[in-house]
Amino acid sequence: MPDTPDKDPVIAHSFATFFVIVSVLLMLTLVWALYGEFFGLRPWKSYQREFARRYHSFLVKQIPKQKAAEQTILQSAEYQQLDQQLKTLEDQVKDKTEEQDKQIAILDARFSTLTDTFTTARAYVATQVYAIEHTSAGGKTSLARGLAKYEAGPFELALPALPDGHREKGGYTFQQLEEEFNQVQLDKAKLLEEKSALLRPVSELRKKRDAYLADHLNGLTVGQLHGLLNKVNDFSVEIRQINNPDAGIVDRCESCHAGIREPAVLTAKDLGGKKVFVSHPDAELLQLHDPEKFGCSPCHNGNGMQVESAESAHGNYEHWLWPLHPLENVQAGCQQCHANQMIVDHAPVLSYGKELFQHRGCVGCHRFQNYNPEPEELVSAEQQVVQLEARRHDAQRDIQQSIQMGDQAPDNETARKYYTQADMLRVSISDTDGRIEQLNRRSKDLLRDIKKVGPDLKEVRAKIRPDWIPVWVSNPHAWRPSTRMPRFRLNDGEVRAISAFIWQSGIDSTLPHQPPGDPARGKESFETRGCLGCHSLSDSDPGFAANLARVGEKDNYDYLVRWVRNPRERTHPYCPYEKRDLTEDDYTRHGVPFVFDLDHSKCPNDGHELEVEQMTIMPNLRLTIEEARDIASYLVTLKEKDPASYARADYLNDPKLKASGRALAQRYGCAGCHEITGMEDEGRIGTELTKEGSKPLEQIDFALLTAKARKDDWYSHKGFFEHKLAKPEVYDTGRDWTDRDPNERLRMPDFDMKPEEITALTTFLMGAVESQYPPRYWDAPEDQRRDAQEGWWIVKKYNCMGCHQFMVGQTSRLMSLPRYQTAEWKDQLPPKLMGEGARANPDWMLKFLANPALDSKQTDRNGVRPYLKVRMPTFYFSPLEVRKLVRFFQALSSQPLPYIAPQVEPLTEQEIAMARALFTSKAAPCLKCHATGDPAHDRFATAPNFLLARDRLKPGWARRWMLDPAMISPGTAMPSGLFKSLGDHYVFAGPTPDIFKGYDGDQPDLLTRYLFEITPEEQRRLVGMSAGLLKTSENHSGSGAGFPAHATTSATARRGSIKLTSFLVKAHD
Amino acid sequence: MNNGKWIWLFTVLMVLALTGCSKKAEETSEQPAEATTASAPTPIDQSTVGDVAGKVTFEGTKPKPQRIMMDQDPVCVQKHSGPVFAEDNQVNADGTLPNVFVYVKSGAEKYTFATPTEPVVLDQNGCMYQPHVLGIMVGQTLKVVSSDPTTHNIHPMPKNNQEWNMSQMAGAAPIEKKFARPEIMVPVKCNQHPWMRTYVGVTKSPFFTVTGSDGKFSIKGLPPGDYTIEAWTAIGGGAGQTQEQKVTIGAKETKTAEFVFKAS
Repeated sequence: MPDTPDKDPVIAHSFATFFVIVSVLLMLTLVWALYGEFFGLRPWKSYQREFARRYHSFLVKQIPKQKAAEQTILQSAEYQQLDQQLKTLEDQVKDKTEEQDKQIAILDARFSTLTDTFTTARAYVATQVYAIEHTSAGGKTSLARGLAKYEAGPFELALPALPDGHREKGGYTFQQLEEEFNQVQLDKAKLLEEKSALLRPVSELRKKRDAYLADHLNGLTVGQLHGLLNKVNDFSVEIRQINNPDAGIVDRCESCHAGIREPAVLTAKDLGGKKVFVSHPDAELLQLHDPEKFGCSPCHNGNGMQVESAESAHGNYEHWLWPLHPLENVQAGCQQCHANQMIVDHAPVLSYGKELFQHRGCVGCHRFQNYNPEPEELVSAEQQVVQLEARRHDAQRDIQQSIQMGDQAPDNETARKYYTQADMLRVSISDTDGRIEQLNRRSKDLLRDIKKVGPDLKEVRAKIRPDWIPVWVSNPHAWRPSTRMPRFRLNDGEVRAISAFIWQSGIDSTLPHQPPGDPARGKESFETRGCLGCHSLSDSDPGFAANLARVGEKDNYDYLVRWVRNPRERTHPYCPYEKRDLTEDDYTRHGVPFVFDLDHSKCPNDGHELEVEQMTIMPNLRLTIEEARDIASYLVTLKEKDPASYARADYLNDPKLKASGRALAQRYGCAGCHEITGMEDEGRIGTELTKEGSKPLEQIDFALLTAKARKDDWYSHKGFFEHKLAKPEVYDTGRDWTDRDPNERLRMPDFDMKPEEITALTTFLMGAVESQYPPRYWDAPEDQRRDAQEGWWIVKKYNCMGCHQFMVGQTSRLMSLPRYQTAEWKDQLPPKLMGEGARANPDWMLKFLANPALDSKQTDRNGVRPYLKVRMPTFYFSPLEVRKLVRFFQALSSQPLPYIAPQVEPLTEQEIAMARALFTSKAAPCLKCHATGDPAHDRFATAPNFLLARDRLKPGWARRWMLDPAMISPGTAMPSGLFKSLGDHYVFAGPTPDIFKGYDGDQPDLLTRYLFEITPEEQRRLVGMSAGLLKTSENHSGSGAGFPAHATTSATARRGSIKLTSFLVKAHD
Repeated sequence: MNNGKWIWLFTVLMVLALTGCSKKAEETSEQPAEATTASAPTPIDQSTVGDVAGKVTFEGTKPKPQRIMMDQDPVCVQKHSGPVFAEDNQVNADGTLPNVFVYVKSGAEKYTFATPTEPVVLDQNGCMYQPHVLGIMVGQTLKVVSSDPTTHNIHPMPKNNQEWNMSQMAGAAPIEKKFARPEIMVPVKCNQHPWMRTYVGVTKSPFFTVTGSDGKFSIKGLPPGDYTIEAWTAIGGGAGQTQEQKVTIGAKETKTAEFVFKAS
């Protein structure tokens, strides 16, 4: 059997198929790799190419538009005039400069001719001098002779002729050569200086002309656009990255967002609808935060190093913890550095969230740094006192030791050393005492500054109708939808227990019975005194303080009168040391009257500082008792149903309910927002939220909703906060309570927040993170800007912006009320406080804020603007807060502290006569609007009394105000155009009295100086001189009444004793 | 051999496919630059224009006339022989309303009108503004003059325009100002004589008028079309009150519109 030979694999088998498959696979891999290289993994390349193309066509289209706009400006009369002036000036100096240029050219030629010969000669001379100094005495003479001969020259040179045509003959000595060399340089320097002096006005005018173009052209100039176009033409596709090693930032966002920092403003419309290429929407923000320093991702989040895809760069994938902030929460990024600020510019949503955290009472349960810091600061101050007292004790012991050592010292020198040591310790004790005193004062202030979000429940028995309490506790939103009090998801038994506890823990007190007032008058007062700056009467407008719509159903009239009169008045003081409310007995036992207020705030039992004020932020409007009765009478008419129709709640007095009620009140943290007897020291029950936004997601309890959250794409901080705020019990969903303690249920109550409130608070909490920036990047200034930051917290705390305008464009609550829309009532609005620090003397401001009546006896008035119906209330700011506020206003206006009043040059007799004449002239009826203190006149007054000026105003401000008040307070009743400029000074715009003939001084300056000298007598004299121009009362001699006594006396006392120099800059500056 | 061919073919196809991939779809055409230049007045065929006319009346108890006490400035008192009453509350003897600003609120937006070069004059005489209600076109000059030997200040308090407040002494040059945006109505006051009040209606069209002592009004020259006519009166206090009516004007047609304001 013939063997069939083994098949030759080479011949018999074809591997072609295998090779094809392998090579195809290889090919595919190559294609894949190439594709990935150029497209798949490099999406930014196509982004950049597209950007360059679109940007190019945008610029090309933009140039003719801007050219046209530029042409319009170039052809405008003003520009033409400037251009003409420039040309004229250029022509004027042209001959001169050309001549100078010629001379300079000649000097240059002479200089270059001289240089070669002279420098060679100088070098030779220098070597010879060196040789003479270093050679023996014998050689010196011959060398010196040789040198003298060399120096005598002559050096033959053909210098170009001088400008005057003079040409020197050649043959210079070395000395002549040197003189000539120096002279040429001097002459040239002199010529150059002359030339530049000649050209200076030209270049200044050119600058002015170019600035005119830049100022009047919206957007970029054609030249700038061409520059950008050139840049785009040279566009290279590459990774664009910000690298700031100082803060550990590497951001490649601009690899795709190529237009974000372009100088031209780019909208999606300009670039084919591509949002990715638009400019940053807030260019000013980028100016404040240079992207080269701050990068992108620390503010915006996302994975700044990623460039593989938009999703990965934006951090929208499972393992990236900090995905890009969505647009509605984008301001979250500001919080990490701006935590100290209550109001963050450019970030209204965040600022709103910050405000809500306070206003909605979140702070009652959750600690958050900077919010309601007083209790902690109080503890800290008290601890410091304890430490200092221990130190004081130690120092006293050490003094004894030192003295002893000194007494027993072996020699005088050692003894003196010990005695000095004892002296140093004594001084240190005195220093410690001073610090303890300050800390004690601070403690007192801090105690006074502690405020609660909700009302004082200790007073509940005097204030509230009991039947209303359970209705309210069970569901506050059902009774008043816009209330800040949240809903606690209580069952009937819990409602009863809490209500009973609150009722029984209230202090028993009998209030004086009040006769009824006039509700109609009360309504008018309520609407005009400024109550509506904080309160509202409808649910559509929640207001800053309680909505009072149904207050008549729940409050007692007698208590309301007391409250309206002075809401800070307590029925009983609280002693934090004894931890109880004091009674009259505590006082009578010590033989002291039962009087407690800010001036009587020591405990009669042990001398400790008492809580003498209610912890409400509502201020005292200094109304008369009659007006308080009118308002209270009006308020009790505000009801929807008869209070008697409420179901009786007799169980409130059931003592068995008290203990369980107390436990519930503790569980729900009622004392976080309310004062409750026996619960004064309860802490916050919620978790601290200062850094909640950077808590790892797995530590945040989505409970049984974790899977659902992942599925529905809200498994994120944002998702957690939003769901929690919308429905705080949401994370109890699905839990089985049959075998569980119901107390494990989530405690956070329902706030019924609006979507915009949820967004704002979510933004705030998302931003509450450990900053990615080093602390030196944070906005934590040590200078005056810190005063501004601190002040905003107080401004917000007391709702100053409910009545006042602090910033242009900000609307106060009062401003938006229908009443204040008419021309009459607009003048009844409280003053605007823009630039207040530049206006008001800070020393005066201290007094005013402490007592806005500016009078200790007659308090039913506005100290500065008695003509306003709306009342500047007394806030009982502690010295701590007054200081902060004063510093705040001064800081906002960049005014240095302490304030040193500029001295005002006294008026001469002639000038006084002139000022009087102007003040009383028909053309300048200052006293027609400004109050004088005469009641008949002041009925029509719409501006403050001039007698206040000296103490209250800063003179520079007073002059600026006269010149153009609308520059300082837009919309003010004081008209502009009272003065006109005469080049270097201003004069009155109307006919000036004859006495001004020949006077060429600045007239607003004159009037300002007069204002700072004016006395009550002088003012009466003015009124007398204005007879026939003003309405005055018959018995005018008695006027001046109604002025702050101190203003009057101090002004009188100081008249004539002023040693001064002028404070004014020349008017034309 | 055959195999070799199709390998090559495959490779060529792949390369073609690859290059094909790199080509991108051409961009959608970019939108043309919008033409935005201030357009010239729309030509209106004067042979077809119509009018709207009518009367404004007041129903119910007339408000009590409010006397103005000018004694805080004796200069003002001198100009008047008898007592002066506030014009805001005035109702004519026949029950019609004066000082009502009647204007075309909508319907004329499609037209552009030339801004009149002659100014609207507002006089201050006897510490009263004359007229008490006036209309002006956007961009037209308001010329404020004073016939009083006392100092006034003119203080318009607009919502949508720039606020200003200028002093004007006796014998001073007239103040000339313009309003850049339409607004119904801009109250104007004098802070030194707080009773002084005038109301300025600023419109884009020239179709406005103010009723007089007969309560009648007539707006002429309306091109055929649908219009909303609004009447504004200061009566009732506050920012005043308005009523509107729709009218359709045919060619050369005169339509009537009656407005009745009721006592509140």
